[in-house]
Amino acid sequence: MSDARARRVFVEMLREEWRLHSRLFRGSHFSLFPVFICLLIGGAAKLLVVTGTEPETVFAGLHALVFVFGLHTGSIGFVGQDALRNLLGDVTLLVFSARTLPLSQNTLLGLFVIKDSVYYAVLFLLPISLGTVLAVHGFTGPFLVVETVSLLWTTLALLFVLGMGTTIAALGLAGRGVPGLALLAVPLVAVGAALASSIDVVSYTPYGLFLAQTPLRAGTTVVSIFAVFLLGAVTFDATAPRPARTVKPTFRRWWRRIGDPVATKSLLDIHRSAGGFGKVLFSAAVLFGVTAALVDFAGQLTGVPPSTGISFGAILGLSGFTTYNWLTQSDDVDLYLSHPLSVRAVFAGKFRAFLLLGPLIGLAFYGPALAWRGGPVAEAFVGAVLLVGVACYIFGTTVYLTGLSPNEFLFDTPLFAVFGAAMVLPLVPVLTAGFAISPLSGPLLTALGGFGGILGVVGVGLYRRSLLKWSERYQQV
Amino acid sequence: MTAIEIESLRKSYGDVTAIADLSLIIDDGEFFGLLGPNGAGKTTTMEILTGQLSPDSGRAAVLGVDPATQPTVVRERAGILPEKESPPSFMTPREYFDFVGAIREMPEETVTEQTGVWAERLGLTAKLDTLSSDLSRGQQQKVMIAGAFFHEPDVVFIDEPLANLDPIVQERVKRFLRSYRDAGNTIVVTTHDVDVAAELCSRVGIMYEGDLVADVRPAELDTDVTLLDVFLDNVDATVNQIDEPLTHE
Repeated sequence: MSDARARRVFVEMLREEWRLHSRLFRGSHFSLFPVFICLLIGGAAKLLVVTGTEPETVFAGLHALVFVFGLHTGSIGFVGQDALRNLLGDVTLLVFSARTLPLSQNTLLGLFVIKDSVYYAVLFLLPISLGTVLAVHGFTGPFLVVETVSLLWTTLALLFVLGMGTTIAALGLAGRGVPGLALLAVPLVAVGAALASSIDVVSYTPYGLFLAQTPLRAGTTVVSIFAVFLLGAVTFDATAPRPARTVKPTFRRWWRRIGDPVATKSLLDIHRSAGGFGKVLFSAAVLFGVTAALVDFAGQLTGVPPSTGISFGAILGLSGFTTYNWLTQSDDVDLYLSHPLSVRAVFAGKFRAFLLLGPLIGLAFYGPALAWRGGPVAEAFVGAVLLVGVACYIFGTTVYLTGLSPNEFLFDTPLFAVFGAAMVLPLVPVLTAGFAISPLSGPLLTALGGFGGILGVVGVGLYRRSLLKWSERYQQV
Repeated sequence: MTAIEIESLRKSYGDVTAIADLSLIIDDGEFFGLLGPNGAGKTTTMEILTGQLSPDSGRAAVLGVDPATQPTVVRERAGILPEKESPPSFMTPREYFDFVGAIREMPEETVTEQTGVWAERLGLTAKLDTLSSDLSRGQQQKVMIAGAFFHEPDVVFIDEPLANLDPIVQERVKRFLRSYRDAGNTIVVTTHDVDVAAELCSRVGIMYEGDLVADVRPAELDTDVTLLDVFLDNVDATVNQIDEPLTHE
């Protein structure tokens, strides 16, 4: 593809993304999103500084979070493989245009990734940078603010891109069988060995560039990003021709055990779409990593050893959101409405699938967390109750606010604000107790366990209340 | 006996009127065609009759049941072939039939038997265990046709049933549709293909801009008048377009 054509396609992809979101969220709602992000992150950073956190720690934590966010966003590779085969619904995007126009699918996928990077950089990372700098340093004059924001934005964007490229390259290698997996192990072992040898690996990343802008650090940053994307381009092939897949009949066997056709179909969709159940585990693994870092950070901040059970249980329950997202990735209500199924029955099926998968995924990481970090049995039990309660709560809230479209509709600013508040309000007191109080007394543990139960009941209540709302909504469109 | 009754039905999407004021009665055992250009309101009518969409005003009844208030009852008794849907990407045809059977609470033996019958009828036997995403458009259409008739409903709503099918399968499907009607069932077909409507339907309603502008029985037309003539007489815009033929030059 010539440069001019690539540029034109790229610009049209940006326009398409904007139209898609502004049409979904009526323009003004969508354009408020960066403002909301700026206020939210700025508020959180200010809170950390006011409570005695060093500015360097805030910036370090922010870089770590953005890297994890990049890693997670790279899992679009899972979706990308199915999207390019047009398996995910009725939206026709420019990324599919290789079917009808003389354009290379790999180039289109590359442009799609760059477009997504630009979008995240502008809509998320720029307001995050502005909010954090203003919260940490205050308004120290326009020149200094612009300079610091520019530096932070650049390194955050580079780290985000590095994270995204790392996941895509890892997916590409993992898709190449045993040799690919062996090759994937090489950089992991190398980074592990470097860390074990006390080599400051971090200083060669974009975060190192944020700390000191030297030619060496700039060079290693560029080389690492170039390397992961080159590896991704060589190994990740979303469009490789494959023989028609013939599979053993599974639906009837699963349905006999699960007892609901919609739940069975939803789980089968995850199992057979790119990445299988591994992608659900991957999303939870990212959250697990964040939790571990957060628990360590909280321990340093408070000087009190955090409760493994309470902190991991409460945060891992949030994996319910990504699990529900995967459960709704391959279908929409229209598919079911040509059958004698009510909207209520469709949601009931999704709920059953969620109950079978969501808490299980969270507990799959909760067990190793307990084995790794240890903790009293009573706290472990209460943590498990909290995990299931939070998972049901986030499910009910998400269904109530977004129906069967959890991913797209959270870009609607007011909806996102409500969702954020609904998560923060119950979790802050739980996490404060988990992070700052040690040991946890019997009555407090009982209260936390009871609160986990209440969250679960509220989640199920929200889910039930949403049924009427979505039944009416889906029949009016 | 009346199979379908529509009275003063209206539906708009914002400023766009999809159905202006539609009234219609379709009797038991009729093969009724809803014919019209793109955007005439055919699919919206179908979606209202099958309870997928609520009308703004007016009422409809399918086998005596109001689809707006009892949509699942209508869909239990009817078969539906929607225009846009294809079978779920990550299911095989066999699994899709199992899925349809599970939703309709059909005995497993009946589902297995019907799967064999339909696979044979539409030449799908070799593809029964292939993921739907790896089937051709025509094969996907066959799966959807089978899904609509799987439970042998009294009324069937089918939208462009012959799209993407090769001529041999088209002919087999046409024969099946006629025999199904001959067994006393009601078929409502939505199409913009005049030849299909003329060949298959005992009665044709021509829709234009949300209104029913003509109601004809093709078999009763004068020998020098075709259904296309009736269609063009009633759809003004199309006449103008046809006078300016599309050519390569």
